[in-house]
Amino acid sequence: MEWRRLILDSGHPLRKRPRRWNGNYPPCIPAEPCQLRRMSIAAKPSSALLIVGHGSTENPDSSTPYFEHADEIRRRRLFAEVHCCFWKEEPSMREAFYLIDSDEIYVVPDFISEGYFTQEVIPRELQLTGPTTKIRGKTFHYCLPVGVHRSMTDLILKRAAEVAPGIDPATTTLIITGHGTGLNQNSTKAIRDQVDLIAASGAGYAAVVDAYMEEQPFIAAWNEIASTPNVVVVPFFISDGLHSFQDIPVLLGIESEVGAAASQREIFRHNPHFIRGKTLYYTSAIGTERLMADVILDQISDFDQLHKAV
Amino acid sequence: MSTALRLRSLLESGIHRIGELEIQADASNICYILSHMADARLANTPSFGGLEVHHGPADARDLSTYAEDGTYRFTKGQTNLKRGWVMRLENEEDLRLALDQFYPACLGLFFAWQDGTLEIETLREKLDRQTGMYRFARTISDAGAQKLVQEVCGPAHSCAKKILWKIDPNTLLDDSEASRYNGIVGDVSAAEAIPLLCREACNHFVAECRKAAKAEVK
Repeated sequence: MEWRRLILDSGHPLRKRPRRWNGNYPPCIPAEPCQLRRMSIAAKPSSALLIVGHGSTENPDSSTPYFEHADEIRRRRLFAEVHCCFWKEEPSMREAFYLIDSDEIYVVPDFISEGYFTQEVIPRELQLTGPTTKIRGKTFHYCLPVGVHRSMTDLILKRAAEVAPGIDPATTTLIITGHGTGLNQNSTKAIRDQVDLIAASGAGYAAVVDAYMEEQPFIAAWNEIASTPNVVVVPFFISDGLHSFQDIPVLLGIESEVGAAASQREIFRHNPHFIRGKTLYYTSAIGTERLMADVILDQISDFDQLHKAV
Repeated sequence: MSTALRLRSLLESGIHRIGELEIQADASNICYILSHMADARLANTPSFGGLEVHHGPADARDLSTYAEDGTYRFTKGQTNLKRGWVMRLENEEDLRLALDQFYPACLGLFFAWQDGTLEIETLREKLDRQTGMYRFARTISDAGAQKLVQEVCGPAHSCAKKILWKIDPNTLLDDSEASRYNGIVGDVSAAEAIPLLCREACNHFVAECRKAAKAEVK
């Protein structure tokens, strides 16, 4: 709770940043090849980037996207060093301090929503006390999680267009699905925001709706939620782990039982699925999109603009 | 001094082993050759003796994710690193990147330990920070935790890390093979190896604490 009070007092973007798209960043139309519009970020040759993920001791695919995002940013040579750390894998967040040579570090939670982990666990583990914290001679800048950035809208539209090429959005319902839990409303807010943004974007979908594994509206009832003949489901998760790759396919009805890990199967290559009287397209988790690396950079750019940390 | 430069200095002093990895210079002395220690002789031949050759550090994570039998290596200190490959690395930066994929933060932890700046976390501190279903792990007794160290940690249980932590600030680990282990794999001296260090109980140990705590209640 002390952390919450501190970020409120310090004007941290977790509390004060406007959540809604402001109209200055128009999303593309899914029927066309997406030309994603990105902010440019100046190279930071004296700074480190630390990407924070959840990780898993059981699912080897869980941390793959984080390492891919790090590799992509490392290739661009924007930072002196790029590292990952995790809650449930190595290196831990506490070990991350020892990974980094640079004196200035941008911390980006590679999480899909704000909530318990981004507001409590990560600040506690990294010992952050506000948007910028000095720890043993190093300066840490704590950015917002990737999932709440407005540029996620373009990624969702891009992924939806790729999975259903040539399908008229006017005959299609776009469902963005997440875990959902009655314990934390923030966990669904990022999805609801994206639904609003896409619905207002002119992308042309007959309907854009949210649905969840464990709260209403339930993704298991996707065919009742959608009145159109075509349905595109985009899982709003970072990795193709247990939920997007094993649980949701069962709830959709395209798998009869929970299967093996993502890396051992090719479920996303079997689109479309003709079930329950509709044509269903199911994409891989939004976080596996290569351009998520750009969203990480966008969050850093936003942080600099808001806090003048350049 | 950067981690990469300190690594170079260590290699020049005769260090060549970390975990199950062997670090060598190639025949022309222009790049580093990284391999499983059991493949060190083959890796030192001109054609790498038929080992699968990887250029640069990019494949280090893939090579370290699964054991030879296909099982997921859920902690990187496990002594079941796959054999049959060799990695050519052009400089200390790339070598450092590769090592941090095989053994996350191994160099930084070692240098901080050498410098006396490594902050070590007791088991109780670690367990008290757990969330969700793992919160129950904190109820394990000291005796249960001590027993678990001997049943889960150390080379007898395929972990190559030297344990630095205590149960709590006043409770050392009981003497055992696991608590005595020096973090160096194979028959090399301390002057030739960077030990793998365990500054906090790993998530596997936490999960085992939870199971043991549940069993204690029953």
